[in-house]
Amino acid sequence: MTDVALPLLIAVPILAAVAPLFSSVLGFRAGWYAAAVTTAIEVGLAAVVLAAVYGGDRLVHPVGGYPAPYGIELVGDGLSAPIVALIAAVSLGVVAFAYTGGPRRNSFYSAYLLLVGGLMGVSITGDLFNMFVFLEITGLATYALVAADRSDRSAVAALKYLILGTMGASFFIIGVGYAFISTGTLNMVDLSARLAGSYTARPVLASFGFMIVGLGLKAAVFPLHTWQPDAYTYASDTVTTYISALVSTVAAYAIARVILTVFTLAFFEAAPLARWAVLTFATVSVLAGGVLAVVQTEIKRMLAYSSVSQFGLVVAAFALATPDAVLGGVVHLVGHGLMKGGLFAAAAILAATHGARTVDDYARLGYRSPVVAGTLAVLGLALVGIPPSIGFLGKYYIAVGAVRAGVWPVAIVVFFSTLLTLAYVARLLERLYFADPDAAAPVPEPSPDAPVADGGETEDTDHAGPASGDGGDTRTVRAVSSGMVLVTVLAAVVVVALGFAAPVFETLVEAFLGGVFS
Amino acid sequence: MVTETIPPFVPVLFAAIVAAVAPRKVGHGIGFLATAAVAVGSLLVPAGTYLTPRLFGFETVLYQVDDFSRMMGIIFGLIGAAAVLYAYSSEADGTQTAAALGYVGTSLGAVFAGDWLTLVFFWELMAVTSTLLVWHYGGRAVRTGFRYALAHGIGGSLVLAAVIWQYAATGSFLFSAAAGVVGPIAPALMAIGIGVNVGFIGLHTWLPDTYPSPHIAASVFLCVYTTKTGVYAMFRAFPDGHLWIAYMGGAMAVFGASMALLQEDMRRLLSYHIISQVGYMVAGVGIGTTLATAGAFGHVFNHILYKALLFMSVGVVIYRTGIEDITELGGLWRVMPLTFVSYLFGAAAISGVPGFNGFVSKGIIIAEAHKSVKNVVIGPESVPLGGEDLLWWLLIVGGVGTFMSFIKLGYYVFFHGSASIDPEDARIGQSVPMLSVGALCLVFGLLPGVLFEVLPNTAEIAEKYTTYTVPHVIEGVALGTAGFIGFFALKGPLSRATWIPDVDRVINPTVFYGGRVLVRAVTESWAAVDRAVVAVASSSLRVGANPQRYAFEGARRLPGVAVERADGDGDGEIDLRTSTGTGVLLVVLSLATVLAVLLL
Repeated sequence: MTDVALPLLIAVPILAAVAPLFSSVLGFRAGWYAAAVTTAIEVGLAAVVLAAVYGGDRLVHPVGGYPAPYGIELVGDGLSAPIVALIAAVSLGVVAFAYTGGPRRNSFYSAYLLLVGGLMGVSITGDLFNMFVFLEITGLATYALVAADRSDRSAVAALKYLILGTMGASFFIIGVGYAFISTGTLNMVDLSARLAGSYTARPVLASFGFMIVGLGLKAAVFPLHTWQPDAYTYASDTVTTYISALVSTVAAYAIARVILTVFTLAFFEAAPLARWAVLTFATVSVLAGGVLAVVQTEIKRMLAYSSVSQFGLVVAAFALATPDAVLGGVVHLVGHGLMKGGLFAAAAILAATHGARTVDDYARLGYRSPVVAGTLAVLGLALVGIPPSIGFLGKYYIAVGAVRAGVWPVAIVVFFSTLLTLAYVARLLERLYFADPDAAAPVPEPSPDAPVADGGETEDTDHAGPASGDGGDTRTVRAVSSGMVLVTVLAAVVVVALGFAAPVFETLVEAFLGGVFS
Repeated sequence: MVTETIPPFVPVLFAAIVAAVAPRKVGHGIGFLATAAVAVGSLLVPAGTYLTPRLFGFETVLYQVDDFSRMMGIIFGLIGAAAVLYAYSSEADGTQTAAALGYVGTSLGAVFAGDWLTLVFFWELMAVTSTLLVWHYGGRAVRTGFRYALAHGIGGSLVLAAVIWQYAATGSFLFSAAAGVVGPIAPALMAIGIGVNVGFIGLHTWLPDTYPSPHIAASVFLCVYTTKTGVYAMFRAFPDGHLWIAYMGGAMAVFGASMALLQEDMRRLLSYHIISQVGYMVAGVGIGTTLATAGAFGHVFNHILYKALLFMSVGVVIYRTGIEDITELGGLWRVMPLTFVSYLFGAAAISGVPGFNGFVSKGIIIAEAHKSVKNVVIGPESVPLGGEDLLWWLLIVGGVGTFMSFIKLGYYVFFHGSASIDPEDARIGQSVPMLSVGALCLVFGLLPGVLFEVLPNTAEIAEKYTTYTVPHVIEGVALGTAGFIGFFALKGPLSRATWIPDVDRVINPTVFYGGRVLVRAVTESWAAVDRAVVAVASSSLRVGANPQRYAFEGARRLPGVAVERADGDGDGEIDLRTSTGTGVLLVVLSLATVLAVLLL
């Protein structure tokens, strides 16, 4: 009966998304409570799925009782379960973060829950067209959230994302269409069986190309990433924390699904150029993203380009398609979500308390906000890949996979990506801890209207950024509570703790890998 | 039995710790007792393999007794006791003797090791403790000690490399796992590494450099342990000998004696003679027959006695006069009769005068070179002295050189005009060890059977070798006569040839300046890399901080590109942020590329 958890994972947040709107009459807090309860339920459901998959099951649920391949299948296996767990955990964490940090409009929580449902849907669907639908739900909710900051720059960023994201989704659906024309089915497992033997047919190749480019755009792989730095930078800090952790993550997960489940390794053997094309995109993305991150001055932009680089690594891992590399890709996907979410959360807190938005603003903040800066340092070092951390684990498996597959360029790029990551993380650390005292901004007067725990009982419209006195920065979270700091610290603790969880990941993904590499 | 459970290095190292902290008298007393006990214990302990712990997951043998290690233990303990007594009377302080006892203890650890890992462990510690012993004296000894440490660091590393190679080849560190060192590379590494310790020509420069520089009592310790442990290890590595090693030994015999002839510093002269005498031992090990090996070990035993005796006698002269240069001395036989007698015993023994112990062991090696080596035969057998191998000739010439240089040393120090100074003779605490050791030199020379009892392969030596035969005695007398004639004939030319340098005149500056060049090259090229990296990084950061302005400046310098400042003055900029349109273009281009690659 555990397979019932699968439809519930999607249905609960989508239905609950209506609640904040209706409950507006109850007060401005009602939306938050709806979101909190829903995400808590999601965590429970995700735990059920994770436990079942860890026990060796492959959960399958035919939606509405229609059997595959005609009906839609929901699948929980070693590839989707870690992503589901990540989505649930991060959703709950960000909701906790938003209690004090805002935004507080009930409409925000509606979009937020829709996004949760969309992300879950992409992760557990076993049907390509269904995946497109959930990708669109994800995309639309994300456009709305990016624009929720209501500043002009966030509006432009959201529009850019909308235009490009729609192109990506269209490419994906064109690819799905080609696949459907070639095989007459949309179920992933069924597709993989029917595609066998016709890998080099032109519609099949075109289908792969369209899908990969479409999903690559959603995952923000260079040079399809142009929407991403603007969206991350100009969205409000809470939103950035959430979408940076999850949205591109499910797109990268979709790439893994398409490569490993739909097209399978046999496709790569029949059409090696396809593999090389993906690998080339991915490795270029790693290097270009890293270099661009190093030269950024604004923190959020730097972290955004860092994601371009890290997703290049993940896509490269899936394109390598060896057991080690795929395991590394899954681990790094989960790890990147936690690390990047934690980094953006820490950056949000520093922006709120010190108005720090650029690398130079970070001068000596390590001594003024030791806990948050320390968390940022731990997460940054984990992102570099310093053990013990999940960042190390992921990169290690990917590197081992590249070496064992004999694809030396990728192995070398993994090494260089570590160096580049070190370069931009070291810039932050140097500012935080070793900056010349003269470079530090003068300690601001504590503003009387910024209490720590709660923003007051007034029916506040939104975003009255307390720290940025010049009124230009509407992205800043409303206030900082110790709970927000706690969530951020918790992210760092989990990141380090998962560094010891290599056997857990191996058990989790083992059955899935067994199916792919049989 | 207590002798079987306590390896000899334990009491001696314990004594070293005591000597480091206890008052001088107590420390020396404990040191004397410990070393004497080791000599007695080594004599009594039954042969066998004791203390076999697993260290670092390897089988090791910390304490293995056979005829070879037993003999080393006896003589190391015996001479250690004599040297501690001598050091006490020569006003050596407790710390120095502590270092010396540490050196003795680690040497004992090395010769009683039953596997290469233990041996190389103590081998390296020997280098450390002996360096400390040299350094303790300060002054010039600091520089020579540093060169000593460098040489032994390199040698020890080579030995270590050979040991690892040996392990890789045989799967065990134990001596019993293979007959010596096996494989193509390991023996070469081992020979060169041990060659540093025994003073192969070219690798010997540390020896005459270091031994004359520290305290006189320190020299007595130094002349005993390092080179003899090297000979012992050479035997363990090449139990069946090796022809090249034999010839190297012969060459060392001649080279050491010739260089010694040119020296005017007393202890430096004796140091070159260590090379020469160790040459005989190396030749014996290299020849590899049972008798030659026994002769080599006999020479180790005897050499330790008379060389320590010579260093002690010369040390007393330095102790009493403060002079190290033989040309400034003379006529001392009247004022220092005890010292003169000890020197006479030592010189007679080292030169191989019949009746002294050197004659016995050197005779065995020369006889084996005569009998067993027919490799590079010089001249037909029909002519007198023809049909002998090159090795035999080298050993004979080395013997003549030995006579000549000890006649020279004795002549200049004890005769050579009348004494211009009136120093006192040796102290009682110096005389006792000197005369006892001198007596042993005579006893073992007159009763070679007693010596053979201590040596390995006793039965075979007794059966195959008779010490006092007419040809042997004639050979000894002939060598002595040649030495006398040679010295007095060449006295003038020799005293004018003392400027002839050793290879260290080239090696030391080469190593020093070569090392400096290497260090400079490494640091400078690293600094260049560092500067380049910092330049690239900082310029990237500068460009990255304001890419739009740099793009403008770059475009302005391009020929044929016209850019305008947006507002007429100030810094020009080009908007580099990708617009939505550019983004769409990039996406379409990417898709086109992918499709082109896949479909065409």
